[in-house]
Amino acid sequence: MAQHRLIQNYTDVLLSQLPHQLAEEVADGLAEAYANYVFHGLSSDDAARAAVTEFGDAQDVVNVFALGSPARRVARRLILTGPVVGLCWAMALIAGHAWAWPVPTVAPVLLGATLIASVVVLVLAARGRGYRAVRRAGTAGCVGLAVLDMAVIGLALVAAPNFGGLLTLAALTSATRLTCVVGAMRTVVA
Amino acid sequence: MENCLAGSPNVALLLMKAELLKGHLDALLLAALEEGPRHGYAVMEALRESTAGRLDLPTGTIYPALHRLEAAGLIRGTWLVVAGRRRRCYALTSAGEQALRGRRADWLEFAAVIGAALGRTPWPSTA
Repeated sequence: MAQHRLIQNYTDVLLSQLPHQLAEEVADGLAEAYANYVFHGLSSDDAARAAVTEFGDAQDVVNVFALGSPARRVARRLILTGPVVGLCWAMALIAGHAWAWPVPTVAPVLLGATLIASVVVLVLAARGRGYRAVRRAGTAGCVGLAVLDMAVIGLALVAAPNFGGLLTLAALTSATRLTCVVGAMRTVVA
Repeated sequence: MENCLAGSPNVALLLMKAELLKGHLDALLLAALEEGPRHGYAVMEALRESTAGRLDLPTGTIYPALHRLEAAGLIRGTWLVVAGRRRRCYALTSAGEQALRGRRADWLEFAAVIGAALGRTPWPSTA
């Protein structure tokens, strides 16, 4: 059955900005509301207007979905817990005289660049408004932090002359975050 | 139709605003699912029916709230096919039932306390 133009326009806004399943769910409710108004005697145009009015502005619906999106939630948690992991590594690297480790100069530069880029995209994910933009930024931030955690653990294992208590603690915090990030990725990209 | 009440200026004054619902929306949604599984629009219809049409909330915004409750493990969503259309239906989980009982008890206690304080009328003056 062909949809009313207003219903179709509303659905198109949802489909253009939300994952297909979310848009499909809201569109089904909108179609149900439209059918309900027609059933109660409204003309097709009036029923479509009433259904769209009842559902509220499509952009508002998209924005509310973005505010509660898994990517945004995960990004906020990573931003909040990041300083703890960073502090552990800072203490471990200073105590272990990391500047004397036999690593190529490019390694710390790459790690620093990955850290900054990850933090930037996570902040974008935590503050963004568009659902898809938040999801993209959140995914990039998760991948960035996962790469960073694996790289820094690997670097410490290879280059640190002795793996003391602080390094162990830092590696454990990174490994814990890595596990959480990998576990959260499924919901972030969904 | 109940929703037509929203057009009346007098009734509009009585409509609950979304701001007032903050903090209570989750409990309302859980309560709407207490009688059994419902899809998003049916949840809104149930809320509208139970509040005699005074709930002023854009229907579209309850879907994100349902997803939030699902992420919290309080409800469980499943896809069904109805009249050739895919439809997501939600049901309370045991954690959701427990949360609803807690929210309901909290609300009744809160309402009793505030009602007792605000419901008192001064004694008529005898002077």
